[in-house]
Amino acid sequence: MQRRQFLLALAATNGLLTGPSAAVDFPPVRPGRKLAFPNDFGAHPDFRTEWWYATGWLRRSDGRPLGFQITFFRVRTGIGETSASRFAPRQLLLAHAAIADPALGRLRHAERAVRVGVGDSGFREGYTQVWIGDWRLAQDGDHYQTNVQASDFAYDLKLATNAPPLLNGQGGYSSKSSDPRHASYYYSRPQLAVSGSVSLAGRPEAVTGRAWLDHEWSSELLPADAQGWDWVGINLHDGGGLMAFRLRDTRGNAHWAAASLRSTGKIDQIYPPQAVDFLPQRRWRSPRTGIDYPVAWQLHIGPRRFELNPLFDDQELDSRRTVGAVYWEGAIRASENGQPVGEGYLELAGYGEKLRIG
Amino acid sequence: MTLAPVFIGSLGKRRLATLFSLLAITLGIALGMAVQAIHEAALNEFERGVRTLAGEADLRIQGPASGFADTLFEEVVGHPDVAAATPILEVAAKIAGHEQPLRILGVDVFTLAGVAPRLLPQSHDTTDRMATLAERSVFLSKAAQDSFAVRIGDELKLQDGVRSISLRVAGDLPGMVDGQPLAVMDIAAAQDSFGRIGKLSRIDLSVAVSSTPERLKQRLQDRLPAGTVLESPAAASQQAGNLSRAYRVNLSMLAAIALLTGAFLVFSAQALSVVKRRSEFAFLRALGLERASLIRWLLAEGALIGLTGGIIGVAFGYAIAWAALRLLGGDLGAGYFSGLQPRLEFKPALTAFYVALGLLAGLAGALVPARQAADIAPARALKSAGDALSIEPHRRPWWGLIALALSLAACFIPPIDGLPLGGYLAIALLLTGGIGLLPFFAQGLTQSLAGISQSVAWRLAAARLISAPGYAVVASAGVLTSVALAVAMAIMVASFRESVDEWLAQLLPADLYLRAGRAHSSAYLDPELQAAIARTPGIRQVEFTRHEQLRLGADKAPVALIARPLPDGGHTLPLASEVRFSSLPALWISEAMADQFAWQPGKAVHMPLGGQLREFHVNGIWRDYSRQTGAVMIDLALYRKMTGDLHVNDAAIHLESLANEGAVVDRLQQLGADAALEIARPGEIRQLSLRIFDRTFAVTYLLEAVAIVIGLAGVAASFASLAATRRKEFGMLRHLGVSRVQIVGMLACEGGLVASIGVLTGLFAGGGIGLILIEVVNRQSFHWSMDLHIPWGSLLLFAGMLVLLASLAAVLAGRQAMKQAAVFAVREDW
Amino acid sequence: MLEIRDLCRSFNGRIVLKSTSLSLNDGEYVAVVGESGVGKSTLLNLIAGLDRPDRGTICVDGENLAGLDEAALTRWRREKLGFVFQAFHVLPHLNLLQNVALPLWLQGKSGCDAAPAAQAMLDAVGLGERVASWPHELSGGELQRVAIARALVHRPRLVLADEPTGNLDPANAVRVLKLLGESIRKLGAIGILVTHSREAAATADRTLQLTAEGLRQ
Repeated sequence: MQRRQFLLALAATNGLLTGPSAAVDFPPVRPGRKLAFPNDFGAHPDFRTEWWYATGWLRRSDGRPLGFQITFFRVRTGIGETSASRFAPRQLLLAHAAIADPALGRLRHAERAVRVGVGDSGFREGYTQVWIGDWRLAQDGDHYQTNVQASDFAYDLKLATNAPPLLNGQGGYSSKSSDPRHASYYYSRPQLAVSGSVSLAGRPEAVTGRAWLDHEWSSELLPADAQGWDWVGINLHDGGGLMAFRLRDTRGNAHWAAASLRSTGKIDQIYPPQAVDFLPQRRWRSPRTGIDYPVAWQLHIGPRRFELNPLFDDQELDSRRTVGAVYWEGAIRASENGQPVGEGYLELAGYGEKLRIG
Repeated sequence: MTLAPVFIGSLGKRRLATLFSLLAITLGIALGMAVQAIHEAALNEFERGVRTLAGEADLRIQGPASGFADTLFEEVVGHPDVAAATPILEVAAKIAGHEQPLRILGVDVFTLAGVAPRLLPQSHDTTDRMATLAERSVFLSKAAQDSFAVRIGDELKLQDGVRSISLRVAGDLPGMVDGQPLAVMDIAAAQDSFGRIGKLSRIDLSVAVSSTPERLKQRLQDRLPAGTVLESPAAASQQAGNLSRAYRVNLSMLAAIALLTGAFLVFSAQALSVVKRRSEFAFLRALGLERASLIRWLLAEGALIGLTGGIIGVAFGYAIAWAALRLLGGDLGAGYFSGLQPRLEFKPALTAFYVALGLLAGLAGALVPARQAADIAPARALKSAGDALSIEPHRRPWWGLIALALSLAACFIPPIDGLPLGGYLAIALLLTGGIGLLPFFAQGLTQSLAGISQSVAWRLAAARLISAPGYAVVASAGVLTSVALAVAMAIMVASFRESVDEWLAQLLPADLYLRAGRAHSSAYLDPELQAAIARTPGIRQVEFTRHEQLRLGADKAPVALIARPLPDGGHTLPLASEVRFSSLPALWISEAMADQFAWQPGKAVHMPLGGQLREFHVNGIWRDYSRQTGAVMIDLALYRKMTGDLHVNDAAIHLESLANEGAVVDRLQQLGADAALEIARPGEIRQLSLRIFDRTFAVTYLLEAVAIVIGLAGVAASFASLAATRRKEFGMLRHLGVSRVQIVGMLACEGGLVASIGVLTGLFAGGGIGLILIEVVNRQSFHWSMDLHIPWGSLLLFAGMLVLLASLAAVLAGRQAMKQAAVFAVREDW
Repeated sequence: MLEIRDLCRSFNGRIVLKSTSLSLNDGEYVAVVGESGVGKSTLLNLIAGLDRPDRGTICVDGENLAGLDEAALTRWRREKLGFVFQAFHVLPHLNLLQNVALPLWLQGKSGCDAAPAAQAMLDAVGLGERVASWPHELSGGELQRVAIARALVHRPRLVLADEPTGNLDPANAVRVLKLLGESIRKLGAIGILVTHSREAAATADRTLQLTAEGLRQ
């Protein structure tokens, strides 16, 4: 699942994944490797890229909703592998965090980036632990803990697991293209029970909610003609979970797509590209960047027909100043036949003008 | 206003005198304005640069040139009072084919974004997203690309030691819009490329919201290793300002010469004009013009000249500044702001100040004559026509003597805020005293000279000066001023040059000098190469020198450390003090160190070296003309023991007596690839240094010459205006049988005498001022002493030429009055 | 002995002096009177060698001035001529002794050599007590007496006085004219007094009238 790879590829300060650092052998992603936990919860530093990506819906004490997002990217640059410098940028960590508050009508967000090796940042192998200063995402027994401190928001959340990971693709081998080179190892953790606190503008308050965690790692590039992607992860009210993505080519057509559906009491279902259809319904134009985003969708997964509508329209994340990408990452509601069936996150990337590649 | 034609109109009637007064004031103002405008532009640019580089950093940890251990960064970045910190390794990279090194900052783009985002590099190749981290990528600001003639995509050849390394120019620094030549590369790549693993040059910090810079300073200071200081980034611009301030003040001194000359020319012109118009004023007074009003109008005449000169001068000043910035840069080539490309800005307040200065010069020049005019008794003045002889000199010698005594006292005032204000006061008082004593000197000199010739021309000229010293004051005060200051500068420059020459001779005793590149740059000689040099056939002895730069205190400029083999007695050094010995490691300090840190021979001092504070004993003080902020010397073996640093920068090579110098040079050249080694003979270095010295002072000579020419032109103008009133005198003399040649001779004698008085007093005053410049002004502003050298030959030639020129000027001015028709002027009824 | 024959001088085509002749013996003191513009000053300038005639000759003691060049004329003036001017022309930066000694200086005498003669001359004009005074301390009459002393100190053959009393009040004028006349006679020089005042002219031995047609007795 290379969508975040692509996002990273746009990151201006370091940008990462497409570099010709041919000198280093990155391990390939192959079908048939069985994911082994808890080891695969931890980092895989040999691979070129890896990320942990938690999103979710929170309820404040008065019942009003908030969306939250925290992402840690790990990148092996292939640079300075043999350098004696403590600053050698062999491994980088980047993090994005955001809060979607309908009362504000736009995102609060912040980001951090470091080279691993100096200062208080790093990742662990064997179990999930990744941190940049006081931002962290860490596994502790049967739950994850995440902390973010930003200038206008902060959160301290516990994400409790109650089910094994959902392995996307073929047992965690997730294709991105008909070419088997373009693939990743990818699992999701739907239905994480959230408890903790969120501070908006300095006032902490207790929250509860449902979250979704993705963990994905890979070494290989996106298909050359990929322009962007659409991704959605939904916690269904019935206790299930749905993940779907598609890659778009430069003409805007679907290049590749896949979906995973977990339903209570059933085996997790994996859908091939032809069973997944993303149909845009309503567009919203960002007043800041002028980019048109399809913020409402019809999502066809096999026989099922979901309607996706945003918590609010303006969930554009403009990180051009520091990271360099503009995309839409927001909380959405899912309904089926007019009935609400779930809540989750939608990510729309590559809708800008061939973006700001540079 | 109704009287304007009467007064202001008179300026038009003596166009020549007015023109020269105006010229001198214009020159003075233009010069002062230009120096100031250039300096402000340079300093602004420097500050802007500092701001850009510092970004939002509140504080900076700064270490010696060799850097400090990068483990400090871990400690700092985790400190609770620190919000953000970014590590920087600075390298002055020697670039093949360029004298000026390229300043490369090794940065961490991730932490840099939060502290100094304008330093962020931008890759040109947008597909290589890793370019900013890549080992061989370097990013050059537009100005650096221009200075080193490279474009994006080019390979840049740099020198590390004598090894050549090649980096690719992968992009630019879009945030550096100030025209600073600067390069950025990844910090790890920089550490690797330049063999500086584990080293940082500085850490820029921003303070956590919950803390303050003061608290952070307090808490962090003690945990910093010896040799690093915590200071505010603004300190750098302040240091630069202090450094160049003295230089700027010396240039302003030249402006003052011109301005003072201008004021005295206004004085001369006004004094003579007032005398000529005596009956006119008496008539006006008789008609009912008040005394105060007469003074005001006469002041207005001077003010008009001053104001016009001020306005034209300011305009010229900006033009000169513009041209100078284009051609020479912000320090006029003195090297304080090398690499900056300052932009000229119009400064209303500063401009107004200089216009006002011009006005003041005009007013000051007009003041005394105006008062004298107002003191004329109308009844008497109505009857007798005016002559320059009726100018009353001050007949109080004690007035001048007191000024001289005060001048001497002012020399003992210590520097105020780093400026030799006492010295400048002493100079002003010395000039004042000189002018105060001028009438007595004029009388004395003329009386003693009166007998040397019995020729009528001489006797008439001498009689005129003896009976009317006030006239001499008027005519020669301008000459005195310009000559005094020019002579002072000449003595100072000659002493300086001679001292530098001797100093160079003492510092360069070897046969050959070899270096890999400039001190503190990325070029050095490693131990292997040192051994190879020492083994080279034909070489009897090699002495190596290592350069380092230390920080001895927060907000204090860096101090140069020179490590070379030193004998116990320090007799190879240009010593400027007694030598004291002790069992502690020996330290030899420059005069600037003694002045700034109050270190003295015999004193035990602490100095950070190799990350540790160590105790040294100051054995002696040596003279250093090249490092204004201070330098210390220790023995190379001692330095190596304390730091473990085995690299050196230079080698002084003594040849075997029969060695073929050319062959040795060839052999040495082959030790470094690509002409990485620079080899020079001491004679070449000396010549080059003196050439640079002469070039620096060439502008000075030129400006002095202009000031003196204007001063002389002013004398000529005075004589011209006087000659017109003396037509009848010349006519009468012709009746008595005085030949035309004799009248010419008389005028020449008068001109020569007046000039001699000005020149001789100018020589005396100039000698005094020269001493003040050497002993007080230079000592206090540059912290170096020099031996007095008076360029007798050139001074005598200069004085003789001036007297001759003045005689010629007087004759030319009098030629009008000597025409045949003048003979008849003696008849009133023609 | 002054011999002037058939002297003519014109400026820019205007005839100022027309065939003027005059012969004066040593010790003779004459006044020349005439209207403004009839050429009194021109005549004096010609006699003093400061101007050259268009036609005619001037001989002093048998020496023709026309035969002398500029330098010789200057030397001749130094030795043979004394001048008294209407505006005194006493040099303000020389004291009385120096002013009077000036013609002796011009003849190459040193200050010391010249002093006794100048002192004697100042004694003669009644200013012997004031040798060290400066011209600005003197009245007009006194200044003219200094000028007379200066005109005679080198014992000239010819003394020319051009309106010497023009700037003086009548009482002073009489005293100055008397002094001038006496001094010239005592010296035995030739004196020419140019004036337009009948009273002044009367102090001379005889009066000549200068008109457009020439000199008349």
